[in-house]
Amino acid sequence: MDSSNDEALDIIITNVVATFRTRCHLNLRTIALEGTNVIYKPEVGKVLMKLRKPMITASIWSSGKIICTGATSEDEAKLGARRLARCLQKLGFKVRFSAFKVVNVLAVCSMPFAVHLIDFTKNNRPIASYEPELHPAATYRIKNLKATIQVFSTGSLTVTGPNVQNVATAVEQVYPLLFECQKPLCK
Amino acid sequence: MSAAGMRCPACGSTNIVDDDLYSQAQLVCVDCGSVVSEGVLANDPVGGSDVSFSRTTAVAKRPCANLIKGQQRVKAICRILMVNREIEDLSQTHYKMAYEHKAFLKVSLQKKDILTGCCVLVSCRQLNWPITVGTISCLLDADSMVVGAIYQEMVKNLSIEAPIINVTDVIEAHCHEYKISSLDVPEELAENSRDLTKRAVALVELAADSWIVTGRKPIPIMMAATYLAWQSLKPNKHRLKFSLDKFCQVAKVKKLKSAMTRVAEIKEVLCKLGKEIPWVRETVTPDNVIQLVECILQNRYALLRRAMRTHEDALLEESQASCAEAPPESSSQISECADQTPITSFVKQNGSNSDGKEKPGDVDYNPRVLPEHSGTQESQNPPQNWGKRVLFAPPCVIHAKKRRAEQPEHTDVTGDEEISDSEIDSYIRTPQEARDFALMQQMLSLSDSAKS
Repeated sequence: MDSSNDEALDIIITNVVATFRTRCHLNLRTIALEGTNVIYKPEVGKVLMKLRKPMITASIWSSGKIICTGATSEDEAKLGARRLARCLQKLGFKVRFSAFKVVNVLAVCSMPFAVHLIDFTKNNRPIASYEPELHPAATYRIKNLKATIQVFSTGSLTVTGPNVQNVATAVEQVYPLLFECQKPLCK
Repeated sequence: MSAAGMRCPACGSTNIVDDDLYSQAQLVCVDCGSVVSEGVLANDPVGGSDVSFSRTTAVAKRPCANLIKGQQRVKAICRILMVNREIEDLSQTHYKMAYEHKAFLKVSLQKKDILTGCCVLVSCRQLNWPITVGTISCLLDADSMVVGAIYQEMVKNLSIEAPIINVTDVIEAHCHEYKISSLDVPEELAENSRDLTKRAVALVELAADSWIVTGRKPIPIMMAATYLAWQSLKPNKHRLKFSLDKFCQVAKVKKLKSAMTRVAEIKEVLCKLGKEIPWVRETVTPDNVIQLVECILQNRYALLRRAMRTHEDALLEESQASCAEAPPESSSQISECADQTPITSFVKQNGSNSDGKEKPGDVDYNPRVLPEHSGTQESQNPPQNWGKRVLFAPPCVIHAKKRRAEQPEHTDVTGDEEISDSEIDSYIRTPQEARDFALMQQMLSLSDSAKS
């Protein structure tokens, strides 16, 4: 890989979404009554429970399927999920923590240079697509990693992928393509 | 079966005769009148006939009525836009393919209507006829985001590669919309459409070179360029006093909010270049730069180069001066790090970026998850600084918003740690609290129902 860079490239994870199952039916009204930091949404059929640390919001369905969002790392997501399961256990449900899976990771990264989006899209068609009238960023989808990168003209990137490793790999893959599209200003 | 040798199950007599009821063969007992057996009413083959009903009554397959209507709509749109024959034919082909594609076969009629516009759009792009998504959404009377979404779906499903639109191509068509010729407005405000277009194109090219165009919607930029072009073609006091609002009113064009910001950005760039003109003595400000626009645009490449060189020289002087000063300030910025976990790939730092990192390794492109106390703070500075160091950069980099440094929440998390009971108890209400809560909910719902 290109090793002539001598500045660190920070990939900051801003959101990790994970799901798990409790293998038992959950009574949402009980949770709403006896839990603090809980919002009951009967029209959708779920309960939103927020944990303080780690800062996580969980959507709990009565079938026992739970989605946790808001964590900033995979381990934090797991810890939050386990805390949630313990909490539900204490409320009286026969919870078994199972099928924990990180489903989506959202990360941001910033290049120390601006990117000329039209050149970038022209060089990488059809993997990259750019419609300035609809969205200011160019979208680059890496199929085999299942990652989507949105490139802004300021050099900021937003990466979403199924796990942290894929996200890091995606940034590595796209970096050389971005580097060659820094616009030279001198004509 | 023959009537002989049978007994009636009801009375037991053997007196059974053939007594057909209309076309149904029946064996009837004479004594008691009961039907012993009967034949089938019709002689259809088992399981229905081989030829289905629809096939027997079908005529030659006709195209769907909505497809015909859609094709007529495509034709209408092409005629309104006055595109050439090739584009019309290509749009029709695309529409037919898209209509019969399984992704669009069962969508709503509204979506199919928007599909007509998208086909025209993609054909125009493929054959280098510049129109914008905004124009199509106007024609279809639909939201441009919806049009865009269907356009992207269609392009993906039909695997079409369409080139992206360039602002400089569209600006000519855009300028023609402005009713600013001598037929429409008084002589002092009028402008020849060709001159206006030429000047506006030059301005847009300059904007494209200085990072104003990338990532932005094209129409506000075109509006800003047209306005500045109009002002600069006759930069007298009267025209300079005209605001963008008034100009749009006179030209009978709907003003866009972001066009004002673009005007300011383009003026800033013009000022930066105006400073480089050797024979200009006074300071160049956004107010008096319009008079110089003609000169700047004619020599814009030379001025750009000069500006870059001047800027580089200035930076060089600055860095030499700062090196002569005390040693670089150390990063006592470790005190606050973001609470987000960074995965830092490179580890070889600049001289001034010494921090609490545990492994100051050499240049190594493996991403590593570093412990929380890495200096996210100071690695945020280089990205912000590069915007200030460069002469031309996207405007939101030059005027970067300050980010609040967030407090660190915790350090290493493994995911499998022990969870204490007291922690969990903080999330559960005590029985008394639960009872109070239930009571209050009851009271609230009672008062609600009393009110309504």
